[in-house]
Amino acid sequence: MDLKVLRATIKKEFQIRLRAYPVDFMLGCILTSFYTVFGAWMMYHYFFGKRLATDFSNLTGTSDYMSYAIVGSLVYMFVVRTCLNVSRRLITELREGTLESLMLAPFKRTSYFVGNMILQTIMTLGETAIAMVIGVFFGLKIHDFCFWKFVIALILSIYGFFGLSLILGCVMIYTRDTYISQNTLFTAIFLVCGITFPKEYLPGILQFVGNIIPVTDCLTLMRADFLGGLTNGRFIYIAMRIFLVGSVYVFTGFPLLKQLEKIALEKMEG
Amino acid sequence: MKYFFKVMLAESWKQHRNYFSNKLIYVSLFLWPFLSFMASYYSYKVFDIEGSVVSYISGGNIMVFLLIGYMGMSFFRSVVQSAWHFSFERQSGTLEYIYLSPASRMAVILGNALSSVFEGSVAMAVFGALIILYNKESLSINVIGLVTVIPIFLCVALLWGAFLNACFLYSRDTDFLFTVLEEPMEIFSGVKVPVSIFPGWARVISCIFPLTYALEALRQVMLNSADISSVKNVVIISLVIILVLLSATLITIHIVEKHMRKTGNVILF
Repeated sequence: MDLKVLRATIKKEFQIRLRAYPVDFMLGCILTSFYTVFGAWMMYHYFFGKRLATDFSNLTGTSDYMSYAIVGSLVYMFVVRTCLNVSRRLITELREGTLESLMLAPFKRTSYFVGNMILQTIMTLGETAIAMVIGVFFGLKIHDFCFWKFVIALILSIYGFFGLSLILGCVMIYTRDTYISQNTLFTAIFLVCGITFPKEYLPGILQFVGNIIPVTDCLTLMRADFLGGLTNGRFIYIAMRIFLVGSVYVFTGFPLLKQLEKIALEKMEG
Repeated sequence: MKYFFKVMLAESWKQHRNYFSNKLIYVSLFLWPFLSFMASYYSYKVFDIEGSVVSYISGGNIMVFLLIGYMGMSFFRSVVQSAWHFSFERQSGTLEYIYLSPASRMAVILGNALSSVFEGSVAMAVFGALIILYNKESLSINVIGLVTVIPIFLCVALLWGAFLNACFLYSRDTDFLFTVLEEPMEIFSGVKVPVSIFPGWARVISCIFPLTYALEALRQVMLNSADISSVKNVVIISLVIILVLLSATLITIHIVEKHMRKTGNVILF
């Protein structure tokens, strides 16, 4: 990996964020997380008077629904923010008219995307921290926190989400659309990955779709870090699964993106 | 008046062709509301549904309750989106032609909202068919009530769209309206959780959204077999909203025009 390109990408992207885009986009994502948590809070406290279904604790290993839903919404926010920004990078370059110059420059794909991902992860961690403070007011409680497990889950999540972003980026650059593809993916993730309810409630086919999206497993690990309810053996098994699925995404995403860039450049004037 | 309707129909036909030229519109029109509906339905499974504090909601009709919510939501959402799309007229430079033409501003705005009401009607018909197909026995419809409530619901949606369109005419930087109105509408107008059980402060916020009243009336006549007298209050409030929105739209159009004349720039005002 070319560290010079990596550093330059981070610097360039940070300056773009600072100078060219308003902060309301970031605010919008924090608000989305707030609305999800608020909706869950209303249902739990007011609609159903804190009465949970009998199988909830068996399926999730916790009876703290609010913490379960808040951790889900925080991870969802993390996915949306990282995927959105990394996958949109090339098409944004195309729209802003800089894709051609980027391709002419000594441009290393791996460093460029990893640079984008690092910057986005740092920024998103800040946003997640703000959303977490809001979550505390709605009843987020940490039951069983293990620092090392959290670090492992975080690194694997970033890896998995990075792979997902590359595939989404491929779809975007091929269809030249961001609005429909990103929103369809995010709405689908919200349904199949168990953000506010256990995925076991879903029909088999949707559970299968959920299993091939790394978000589901990352969420299981993150929940285990904060709420417990997962044995070490199971933790390692799920971690390995994320690594495998993430690798499939990453190693399919890069070559595919390279091919699609060529098509994008050909179609650029069309 | 003849010209008013002519402009209105022409604008709605233009916008309809504009939206449906791209087949991906069907994804946002059908797939997104359907996926969101499913996510909400499964998130109810976490709870003991029979323990709901609302008398007319049970395990049997919770799906219908939610479908009505999403049906209304998709309808209002397409109206909000139409207003957002209208801001593209400014970016593509066609807004100045509209202003230079003798067309009535109100007719153009209503035409734009009307085209999205059509889109909404299609989505609504599909959702409605799903309700009837799967849950005939859990419905308890008062036909006269329903026939009265639906046109009022359509008028409220149309004028809500017209008002938002007028707001988007004022400035380039109105995207925040979209952020403020899109998701809070889903939460506060009772799409997933009935407004009647909201805490006081949340109920105050819910009063802002016309969808709140529309959903309340629709659910009462479809699930609780309520007649006109039972939903009288909601109907009166809806009629007041129609009048308020109509005047607010006219005033906004006037302010926009005045502002434009003052700044003297048709594109960048």
